[in-house]
Amino acid sequence: MTTLRAFTCDDLFKFNNIQAFLNFLSQYGIPFYLQYLAHWPEYFIVAEAPGGELMGYIMGKAEGSVAREEWHGHVTALSVAPEFRRLGLAAKLMEMLEEISERKGGFFVDLFVRVSNQVAVNMYKQLGYSVYRTVIEYYSASNGEPDEDAYDMRKALSRDTERKSIIPIPHPVRPEDIE
Amino acid sequence: MLRHILVTSNMAARGHVQDPNDRRLRPIYDYLDNGNNKMAIQQADKLLKKHKDLHCAKADPSRQVLKAIGLQRTGKQDEAFSLAQEVATLEPTDDNSLQALTILYREMHRPELVTKLYEAAVKKVPLSEEYHSHLFMAYARVGEYKKMQQAGMALYKTVPKNPYYFWSVMSLVMQAISAQDEKLAQTMFLPLAERMVEKMVKEEKIEAEAEVQLYFMILERLGKYVEALDMVRGPLGEKLTSELQSRENKCMMMYQRLQLWPECNALSYKLLLKNPDEWQFYLSYFDSLFHLMDKSWSPPNEEEHCVEGPVHTTVAEAVKFVVDRMEEEDKKDSRPLRGPYMACLELIHRLRQRGCPDEEELGDPLELMLQFFGKFGDKPCCITDLKIYLHLLPPEQHTQFENRLGELVPLGEVGEDGFGFPGDTKALQRHLCVCQLSRVLGLQHTLDTEGKLCLITELKAHYHYGLQFGKSCLKTELQFSDTYCLMVAHVYIDLWTETGDENMLWQCLGVLEEGLSYSPSNAQFKLLLLLLFCRLGAFQPVVDLYSSLDAKHVQHDTIGYLLTRYAGSLGQFAAASQSYNFSLRFFHSNQKDTSEYIIQAYKYGAFEKIPEFIAFRTRLNQSLHFAQVRTERMLLDLYTEADITSSLEESVKAMGLCPEEDDIPWDNMRDNRDLTVLFSWDPKDRELTEEHRRLSLEEESVWLKVRSLTLRLLASLALLGHAPSKRNSDKTNENGVSAKSSTLQTLLSQLDLTLQTAAQITEKQTQYPFLGPPSSRLASALSSGSCHCQASALQLSLTLQELETTGLDDSSELQTQICNSFKSLIVQLQELLSRCKGDVLEMKDSRLMTQPSLLETLVFFVETVCVVLWVASYSASVLRPLKSSLQKKKKKKTKDSSTAMPVVLSGFQEWTGSLQGIVTQALDHVKGQEASLTALKLAALTLGVGHAQTQEECGFTRAAMDKVQTSYLGSLQELGDLLRKRADSLKSLKF
Repeated sequence: MTTLRAFTCDDLFKFNNIQAFLNFLSQYGIPFYLQYLAHWPEYFIVAEAPGGELMGYIMGKAEGSVAREEWHGHVTALSVAPEFRRLGLAAKLMEMLEEISERKGGFFVDLFVRVSNQVAVNMYKQLGYSVYRTVIEYYSASNGEPDEDAYDMRKALSRDTERKSIIPIPHPVRPEDIE
Repeated sequence: MLRHILVTSNMAARGHVQDPNDRRLRPIYDYLDNGNNKMAIQQADKLLKKHKDLHCAKADPSRQVLKAIGLQRTGKQDEAFSLAQEVATLEPTDDNSLQALTILYREMHRPELVTKLYEAAVKKVPLSEEYHSHLFMAYARVGEYKKMQQAGMALYKTVPKNPYYFWSVMSLVMQAISAQDEKLAQTMFLPLAERMVEKMVKEEKIEAEAEVQLYFMILERLGKYVEALDMVRGPLGEKLTSELQSRENKCMMMYQRLQLWPECNALSYKLLLKNPDEWQFYLSYFDSLFHLMDKSWSPPNEEEHCVEGPVHTTVAEAVKFVVDRMEEEDKKDSRPLRGPYMACLELIHRLRQRGCPDEEELGDPLELMLQFFGKFGDKPCCITDLKIYLHLLPPEQHTQFENRLGELVPLGEVGEDGFGFPGDTKALQRHLCVCQLSRVLGLQHTLDTEGKLCLITELKAHYHYGLQFGKSCLKTELQFSDTYCLMVAHVYIDLWTETGDENMLWQCLGVLEEGLSYSPSNAQFKLLLLLLFCRLGAFQPVVDLYSSLDAKHVQHDTIGYLLTRYAGSLGQFAAASQSYNFSLRFFHSNQKDTSEYIIQAYKYGAFEKIPEFIAFRTRLNQSLHFAQVRTERMLLDLYTEADITSSLEESVKAMGLCPEEDDIPWDNMRDNRDLTVLFSWDPKDRELTEEHRRLSLEEESVWLKVRSLTLRLLASLALLGHAPSKRNSDKTNENGVSAKSSTLQTLLSQLDLTLQTAAQITEKQTQYPFLGPPSSRLASALSSGSCHCQASALQLSLTLQELETTGLDDSSELQTQICNSFKSLIVQLQELLSRCKGDVLEMKDSRLMTQPSLLETLVFFVETVCVVLWVASYSASVLRPLKSSLQKKKKKKTKDSSTAMPVVLSGFQEWTGSLQGIVTQALDHVKGQEASLTALKLAALTLGVGHAQTQEECGFTRAAMDKVQTSYLGSLQELGDLLRKRADSLKSLKF
């Protein structure tokens, strides 16, 4: 039981329980949020509890060449506050992002996830995503941890009738080789 | 990435053959990109020399500008600027120069110069789409809405593309939004914008969704809701596809504005059938239902109730609707949704509010909540959900509710300690939820001391038992049982505030430190530790805690107060300076960041985001916290440096402080603090209320006013000192002096008024919930006497100024007045110092006791000494010339022994002597405190007696005590150092 609505700048002031303090991989600066709000406002959705607490948010974008059948939705960030986990909220937010990408005529939706983040990888698999390729040292080192690889996971949308976009690439790629 | 910016800002890539100039510029760009500014300058110079015969700028303007960028970045702003202006006056029209100048001006924070640049370029090349669009964006950056409107139109006339037309329309909307006069917005700007869009609609030229969005925005702002509704429902509305449910949401909004309750109800119903978890639609469904009932609305006899479908108008229908939704969830195999069950409680709540007896048909709230707990009790949010509706239970049911809940928690066999434990994390979460509910219901609060101590033992046992479930947790994950630990801390705090037993506090610190050792990412542990250390007056441990929270951007505004409230007031000046800087850096970057994205929003047609971005920027600029750190930062710099490393006057000038200027938005102050950042499960009557928020803001604002007036008074005093003495001044200078002293006079009376308001506020003695906002420094500032002492010192400077004008002859009354002020200041300082006496930390009967208020008072004393010494220094500057001219006179009068020394001079000498004495006393006190603190052997304390603290827990408690002791010592050392420096500065005042 959630209110799902467009993310607004004022939500940044209520961010403390979701974003903060969770050592999320996705600690962005203000410019980053504003860029998404200016460019892809429809892809930035927030979930609010009846008491007004922010439960989580998803932030994404549409990109890629249509001609090369690479036009797709991308999940940039997905966060759910610890208090509101295990309610299926992440799945709901992903579903919305997929629906928006469908409407835009995307061929697939993709996302990056730390190879070590088994919980997230499994969740995305349950939602129909599969590993398309591995990106070497996609996450740069921080807090003394070494660089880490990412999985590029994808799910085909209805426009990709033959599901060509999700045929895995066997060899890992470097971050500079991805588009 | 300079080149990247250039390429992208060149958006509509022109696709022509590469300009040979571009190729030659590349090495300079590369150097600039790599931060090798010196090489960039050299390279530019080298190429510029080839064109010796011609004027550099003319021959090669873009290279010239690149050189200027290099100069700017190496700190040679003036050179860079004049070089750039040389090029700018030529009104260049080549891309390279224009773009490089744009970058340079941006780095110089002179965006207004970019507009001039492109105004000239557009004049010379009137058909350039690119230059026109750059001109529009340049205006956007500085918020010149009217000029944007014109530039957008000019652009459209040059290249008739829709976006340009709508840029112009949006600029009209922005004129409306920013208009001081709402009437002007409603009668001129918005109607004009509407007509411009209507024209496009008539000509069937509407292309993009953004254009429809903008049209909707205009109609909405004009209050033309019927038109807006028609538009959304009509063919134009079909373009609203990007956002999910965009049309439905807009219709709903208009139904509510227009109070079209049948439509509102039917649409909510429809949307809830599709998604029974969408909370906002339950609210609109209930709202509309009761409105319809109040109006006794009945559906027309036609088939359809309204355009949106069937309408519910009776409680019976609503009850059935909600019950059906619940039954549907019950039947589902998949995870049930919380929405329908919560809606049921919401409906009972609303029926009860209306005194409607039908609530019984939904069932007993107690049973419904138990049912809810049965379904969702293993989710961490269960408590957040149920908390909202606990008021539906009468107090006499509370214990029964707790017991019944307990029956739903599967716990294992009761062991030796008398407790049974959960077998898995789901059972743990259920048990935890019952504990949380019992606290919210106030059942924990009613326990007596013994009961609370037992509760602590039980919660601790559960905490330690639960740790086994999280053994494989990553460092970044929370432990499943963390919340038990936090609750133990809350009960300790209850005990401490009720009994005043500081041992409770020490044990609380210990348990939190222990929790943090198992769950190093738990922000709630850190926040509570931070708060407790601050309350104890120990700021040192707070620095690391705060930095480990890794607060980012807006958080500096929302939670920065936790840090900045205490840093300076506890005498940790270096840490204070650092914490102000964290916040200030964020606020200063905000201005630059937002204007960039306002421009992007135009480019991408996200028109509704433009006013939002501007409102965001304003909210940050008007932040209470921003004003506080700005002011405190400058005060701190003065206290720690003025008249030590440089004179007060130099310091004030370096800060660009102007006493006449007040840059704090008193009437529009935004309180962006997150005052509920610390979790609390306190019952409603102990929670933070709106009244608390209001009072806290009021108190903080008044304290800020005191501080900002003090700062401006000090600036005033510094400039007063600069005034040349009367004797060798001409008329204008004299006016200058009196203007300065009248500023001082005005500010002093403002301070006086503010202190009166402050006294009224502190009389209220507002107590905030422990986990709510900290009290401001206002009350202790007043009770210590420091505010009044500072005010009298500043008042004295005015009298001295008068003496400067009058001279020593015929001023005996004035001199006596001054001498009295000298004496009174000594008395006030002495009193202030006496309030600092006492032991900040002591051991008594094997107990550790703190008196952090002594530390805060000592800081006030030191701040006040600073102010008094600046006034003393000003006094010396006034009296010195008077004395020397007197001596000259004396010499002329050939040893006339009858001329005694004027009272003011002897009084001053006596005064500086007394000041020296007080500072020495204070230093002795600080030294004494340092010595007794160092001598305290905390290891000698026996801990854990009677309260079943384990060896491990005692270790954590001891560590916390050590931290407090070390921090006190640190504060004393910093205060001592500053006092010593001030004592040194006193020596130079003697004459």
